[in-house]
Amino acid sequence: MEETIKSVVLGLCSGGIYALLAVSYVVIYKSTRVFPFSQAAVLIIGAYIMWYCLIPWNLPIWLGFILTCMGGAILGILVERAFMRPLVGQPILAPIVVTLCLMLLLRGIGILLGKGDIQGFGESFLPVGAWKIGFLHLPKIQVYGFILCSILIVALMLFYEKTRAGLGMRVVHEDHVVAQNLGINVKRIFQNSWIISCIIAAVAGMLLGNIQGVGLALDVNGLIAIAAVLFGGLESFTGAIVAGLAIGILQMLTIQYIAPLLPGETTMMIPFVFLLLILFIKPYGLFGLVKIERL
Amino acid sequence: MSININRPCGTFDRNYFQAKEIYRTPLRKVLLAILIAGIYLLPFFTGDYGISILTVICAFSVGMLGLQIITGYCGQISIGHAAFMGIGMYTVAILQKHFGLSFWACLPMAGLVPMCIGMVFGIPALRMKGLYLAFATLAAHFVIVYMISNWRSVTNGTDGMWMKRPGPFLGIDFTADRNYYLLVLTVTILMIYLATNLARTKMGRAFVAVRDNDIAAEVMGINIAMTKIWAFGIGCFFAGISGALGGAYYEYVNVEWFGLDDSIWYLGFLVVGGFGSIFGAIAGATVWKVMDEFSTLVTPLAETFLGGAAFYASAAFSLIFYSLIIIVFLVFEPRGIAHRWEIVKRSYRLHPFPY
Repeated sequence: MEETIKSVVLGLCSGGIYALLAVSYVVIYKSTRVFPFSQAAVLIIGAYIMWYCLIPWNLPIWLGFILTCMGGAILGILVERAFMRPLVGQPILAPIVVTLCLMLLLRGIGILLGKGDIQGFGESFLPVGAWKIGFLHLPKIQVYGFILCSILIVALMLFYEKTRAGLGMRVVHEDHVVAQNLGINVKRIFQNSWIISCIIAAVAGMLLGNIQGVGLALDVNGLIAIAAVLFGGLESFTGAIVAGLAIGILQMLTIQYIAPLLPGETTMMIPFVFLLLILFIKPYGLFGLVKIERL
Repeated sequence: MSININRPCGTFDRNYFQAKEIYRTPLRKVLLAILIAGIYLLPFFTGDYGISILTVICAFSVGMLGLQIITGYCGQISIGHAAFMGIGMYTVAILQKHFGLSFWACLPMAGLVPMCIGMVFGIPALRMKGLYLAFATLAAHFVIVYMISNWRSVTNGTDGMWMKRPGPFLGIDFTADRNYYLLVLTVTILMIYLATNLARTKMGRAFVAVRDNDIAAEVMGINIAMTKIWAFGIGCFFAGISGALGGAYYEYVNVEWFGLDDSIWYLGFLVVGGFGSIFGAIAGATVWKVMDEFSTLVTPLAETFLGGAAFYASAAFSLIFYSLIIIVFLVFEPRGIAHRWEIVKRSYRLHPFPY
């Protein structure tokens, strides 16, 4: 029982990052109807930018954070303008192939940035150590990461709910044509979505790089977050957050109960089995819109 | 309804017999015969290096044809195609190692096993389409690779397995590279024949109908779910055969040969080749493998420019270069090389007059 509670709490902490990643997918999917597989590789780029800032250039942490966010934003603009804009209105296959290829393109850039090695931050930029609450043993990295993720998600939700720009984006979520007719610049909204999403993914990559080491293997986290997006429903922020936390818990429970039984990287495989199960049982997820199509 | 979406404008079918024809003019029949004879004679003029490239192109063409059936004909997206190719490879290796079967007995099994597994992973197609199916195949890719790399007692884990080439048949020794190439080429031509004719059967037309508008297809009485599942099954059959041919060429299989990037390259180079035509699939596979050779040729260059320990440069080069090529094709020529080829043929046909 104690072990289970431990796993659940730790899972919640690591699930924060999955929730953040899932939100970064949903931001783009809701407004552009394109599923951005490439966000998995933006993680790598974000982590490397932070690493370059902190280790080779020796900048303070807050500046590194800002530069990472800016790097993510520039990447978002470039990707949207160069690769996604020409494909607006193409059949569904084209954006899927382009985002998949972008994933590999960014991965290649990641190899060049990191010279093919796994880099570490040496000393973590978030406080290390752990709190002991009863039998719980909470690593500070995870908790601070979770808090940062929550702040970002809450800020994003406030942006969507309270600001005028956010209102425009929500209109685009509903219908592109209606939004265009209302005088909203839909292309600009697409670009903003990519910028927001890439910033989020870069920050998540930075946090994950702090825990797992900065390397090409980071993009697996992004692929696992796809399971979370699907579990929550492709169109739902609430779903993405809930399912991200659920995937985190699932992973920790896997380490606790399933990993001893099976060989190899179960933590990576179980979310995909979970994804398949969702697809078989409830393909539109917890909060997703069930599409009814007519001729 | 058009099966060949790459046909130039102004080329009409005036009756059903014309629509079903493979050779639209007698000249094309002669040209095809000359082409096939030429490909058969090619290894006698190229060196060993040329034979190795040709063999790999042939093997991958079969796999690409499989993806053409899934994606080009039926419009379903598969991001796990390389994994099904891997199942084909491992089926042959496992049957040879544990059951001592010959390659000839393994070859049909190498198609049927991925076919069954592919149909299972195609079941989500019962309820959804497009993006969701892409997720299902993505998950299938990871689950399959996990199974292969961790079921050590059967698959030997990440160490890979040895494979044997087929034994002598009618006195031909297939351990020689040139003879093995001729075998691969024969199987490839057989598979091309199958794929060409599949497009002309009831099932092939059902695939195209589902691709073009699945709701309309359902109204016409096509069982969409079964059609999609069959498309997956047949596509994975081709992938498995391709894996068996390729694996037996190297006489070795390793799970690292079919990563997620290979699955994505399959889809991407199908775009480069062109959707919905046999020629497109073969062109895609050819471009892919020629690029592979090119990037191995470039590696020493990259090492001299970037310093001695730049082994990573070739990996980065191929990732960046390939994905840029695919994206450029998608943006500027989404119908691929097949469409360009049609344009070349059209300008030849209309020669004195510009179009």
